[in-house]
Order: sequence, then C-alpha cells, then structure tokens
Amino acid sequence: MIKGTCWVADDYVMAYDIIIQEYWTSAIDSTENSKWVMAGVKEEFNKENAFKDRGYTFIVANHNFAGGGKSIEHVIAGLMGAGTQAVFATSFARLQFRNAINYGLPFVTSDDEMHLGCETGDELEYDADKGIIKNITKGTQFTSVPAAPFVGEVREAGGLMNYVRDKIAKGEPIE
Amino acid sequence: MTITEKIMARSSGRNKVMPGELVWTDIHTVMTMDYLGKTCFDKFRSLGKTEVFDKDRVICVSDHLVPPPNQKFANMLNEWREVVKQHDITNFYDLGRQGIAHQIMVEQGHVLPGTISIGTDSHANTYGAVGAMGNAIGVTDAAVAMATGKAWFRIPKSVKFNITGKWQPWVMAKDLSLHIMGMMHWNGHLLYKALEFTGPAIESLSMAGRMTLCNMTVDLGAKNGIVAPDKVTERYLRNRTNDTWDFLTSDDDAEYDMVYDIDISDLAPTLAMPGKLDDTVTVDKLLGKKFNKAFVGTCTNGRLEDIATMAEIMKDKQVHRDVNMILVPASQTVYLEALQAGHLETLIKAGVAIDTPSCAACAGIHTGVAGDGDIVLSAGNRNMTGRMGSKKAEIYLTSPSVVAASAIRGEITDPRTFDV
Repeated sequence: MIKGTCWVADDYVMAYDIIIQEYWTSAIDSTENSKWVMAGVKEEFNKENAFKDRGYTFIVANHNFAGGGKSIEHVIAGLMGAGTQAVFATSFARLQFRNAINYGLPFVTSDDEMHLGCETGDELEYDADKGIIKNITKGTQFTSVPAAPFVGEVREAGGLMNYVRDKIAKGEPIE
Repeated sequence: MTITEKIMARSSGRNKVMPGELVWTDIHTVMTMDYLGKTCFDKFRSLGKTEVFDKDRVICVSDHLVPPPNQKFANMLNEWREVVKQHDITNFYDLGRQGIAHQIMVEQGHVLPGTISIGTDSHANTYGAVGAMGNAIGVTDAAVAMATGKAWFRIPKSVKFNITGKWQPWVMAKDLSLHIMGMMHWNGHLLYKALEFTGPAIESLSMAGRMTLCNMTVDLGAKNGIVAPDKVTERYLRNRTNDTWDFLTSDDDAEYDMVYDIDISDLAPTLAMPGKLDDTVTVDKLLGKKFNKAFVGTCTNGRLEDIATMAEIMKDKQVHRDVNMILVPASQTVYLEALQAGHLETLIKAGVAIDTPSCAACAGIHTGVAGDGDIVLSAGNRNMTGRMGSKKAEIYLTSPSVVAASAIRGEITDPRTFDV
C-alpha cells in the first residue's frame, strides 16, 4: 500500500517536456535527472528541483502520458528520483510505458477517467495487489487494468536489469 | 495470424501467438548509436557479460553527434569509439562511413524480413519497410538484447490500412503519413498497435516511400509499422544481404482490431502545423505562407528518391533569396549515389547547402538549428516547440517536393502547380 499526494497533469504530457532537450545527452541518473524533471511541462517546474520539492507521490494523467516518441530512460529515472511512486493514466505512450516496466515504476492504466475527479494535492492510496486506487480527499475509488504477471516479477526484482542479471548468474533460460 | 503475429510467433518459438500475450523473442539485430551507446555497453557489462551475444548482430552507428560541433560531443564520441572497439563490434558505422542509424540498418542489410530488429531510437519502426518487425526500445532493453539476443514483447493488436488508388505526381509517402496522422490523431487509437500497410498503392510504392511510411508510425503511437515483403523488397535486398528470408504475409482470416481504407487518388500535399504532428492541413490552406529556412534530410526523408525529387523540381532554378536551404543526405551511400546521379550538382547550383550525413537539425543539436523567430519548412519528422533549436521558432512539416517547390518561391507552394 502506497499513500501520498498527487499531481494532476493536463492531457498530452510529452516525454520531451518531462525531460527537456538540453538534458537528452546527459547521463541516466535518477538524482541528476530529477532536478529538472517536468521542466518543459509547466513554467513553474522550470527551476532546479521545482517538481521534486512538491513531494508528490503520484501523478494522475489522461491520454498518452509521456508521449511524443522519445525512448530516453531519463524520463523514468527523473520521475523516480523526484519521488514518484506510481502514475495513473487513461493511456501511456508505449516507449515510456515499456521503460517504466523495465524500471519497476508502476504506470497504471485505469478506464475510470480518474483524472476528471482528481485535483492536485488530493491524497491517494494505491493498493497494487488489489488494483485499487482510492482518492481519500474526495472519497472516491478507481480500479486499475491488471498488468501481466511478468510486470510484477520485474518490479519485485527491482527492474529488468536485476531480473536478467539474476537469471544469467543462475544460468536460467530467459523465456 | 497477421504478419506481425507470425514474426513474433516465429521469433519466440511458438506456433501461434495472441494479442495481449507476453513473450520473449529472438532478436535478429540490435542497433545503438553515439549518444546512448556507451550507456548500453556499460549496462550490458553490469549484467555479468563481457561478450555480446553476436558481434555481427550488434550494429553501432554514429549519427546524432557527428561531426562533433563542440568539445562535449567530441569527448562523448571518443568514449563511444573506445567502447565499440573494446567489444570488437563488426559493424561500426562511424564518421566517414556514417549515416542515420535507421537508414544504415535497412540499406546495409541488417534488417531481414520475418525477423525482429530493435534500436535505441524511436524511429526504429522504419525497419518494417522490408517486412521486419522494427521496434524502438530503451538502453535497458538494448543491454539485455546485447547480452542474451532476446527482448520481451506484448503481442500487439493489428490495424490494417488498405491503401488504394494511383499516386499523383509530386505526392509522396510523407503526405500519406501526415494524412493518417491527421486522421488518427494522438489520442490513443493506435497506441501499442501494429500497423500493417497493404493494397495496390503500397505495392507500387518504392522502398524509400515504405521507409517513410513505417518510420512515422512511432509518431502515431504505434508499436510497429509493416509492409509485407514483395518483389520491391526482393529487388531492394538482393545485393544487401546473403541471409535467407521468405515472403511472410498475413493470413486471409487474420484478425484486425480496425481496418481503414484510404484512396490516395486525390490525396493532396499535406503539412503539419507548428507544435503538433496531428494538426495537419492540405497545402491549399497555406499557399503563400512565407518562411525563411528549408530543411530536407532525416531518417524520414533523406533518401535518394527524396533528393532526386528535389533536384527535378529545383533544376535550373534558384532558392529564393529570403530562404536558407539545407540538405543532409541520410547516409554516405545516399550521398554518393546522389552525387553520381548529378543531383547534388543541380542542388548546389540552385543554392542549396549540403552537409555530411547525420541527424542534423532534426535533433536540434547541430547543423542548421533554428533561431528565434525562424519559420522552418522541414521534411523531417517532428515539429514540437523547440525541436530544431529555439522555442521561438515554428516548424512546418511536409514532403521533400513541397519543401523544394516552396524554397524556390519563398512561400508555401503546391508542387503540383509549380512549373518544373
């Protein structure tokens, strides 16, 4: 069970706004990437640590979160470094959806359009096992679309790198 | 099964796969390039491996940072060269043999029909042009594939685009891409989907056109775009690979999530307005719009056919005095072929500046970046604010033929009515 406040994003939050162009060629490092995460999304976040300092645990978004076709993992590393523990959206762009799975950061889809009833600062509670997202502030509840078991296994391993490293070390097949 | 499902079944050692299933598949080739490649190799070694799964099938390309415009990039490239050398990679396309990675992958025969190739850059969808599954991935997936020759995938639902009609002169695959972009939007219809392009107008489309079409499927949010291999594919691959492959196609009873029929007989040259790719208009809405920078190149439209089209339009004419125009061929091979065909001489005489192959200003980091107030007419693939440099610049995306005709007039022009 994870509990904390949320930031409600506008529609179409793009990956290239989460990590702006001048940082695309920097190293993938959650502490470094988190300093300027969301810098291109809103002017108020375009200051060092501006998004991170708000201390949001969750992001709630609508369609195509982290879209626009950037495959860079700085996006996920930056969000994790800023303390984001789960993102809930109607849909995610596939490149970052994949990266989030590989990093073990829950990118959770819900058909319930929860962004419509959520406000920035609301307190949420996420039960990953049951797939239930509660908005404690508003007294509402949403259901997530279940993810494949593999997604949970990768998360438990602490990401795909650990998952594969462990298999290689044990000489187990990857299948 | 659809062609994408068949490729994924074959690559995962199964007889059948269903959309939604999660499988580990064999990877034919994995591509990485200069600014992310060192991280891939570092991550690969952290998995406990020292040798890549097959040093012939890890393809390394210098494209984003070359030639280095500053010391930071020069140093990054030196580290990159060192790490590629250290791993004894067979196929390294460094400055001098370079090109944009996706062009290199296809033109050098590193992508094979019926197999899966992945790359650490979003436009890896381009590989679908030869009937492969081309997929963009991050450095983590690349590192895992370098170590194991495998990647995990969820089987996507397929969407069929049946394209009929006859291509009009000066109307290009890019116009169809932008037309579909405007039709389908970014709002999620095509997220995670496999897009299959079929029909008479695809059969008559060149490999260059097929590459443009598949290239931009990533910008539709799709997992991959694919054209089943046919005679055009066979001719194209004949001298590029010695590997064997077969003519894999979708079954007649294959299941599609959606099917769209598009008749291109009256398809007009199409542009995407600055800021959003799905905000598209036909050229008649923008006729007379002035601009000051013209750019042709990129993994979307930097191929020989694109350059030949420009040369045909611009022959014995002059780029308008208020316009700066840059052409960046997609690879050294394309550059040489365009030179030998005389196209580059035509374009230089017309006043086009030509630069060595790279991603150039499309990545916004060098070679003709946009400044404040610039209005750019580009045959690239992305037009978001700041993409080519300044956030105060506007980027209109279109085909090479629209860019060429418009550059002569200094205003957006319909190439169909331009006097060639």
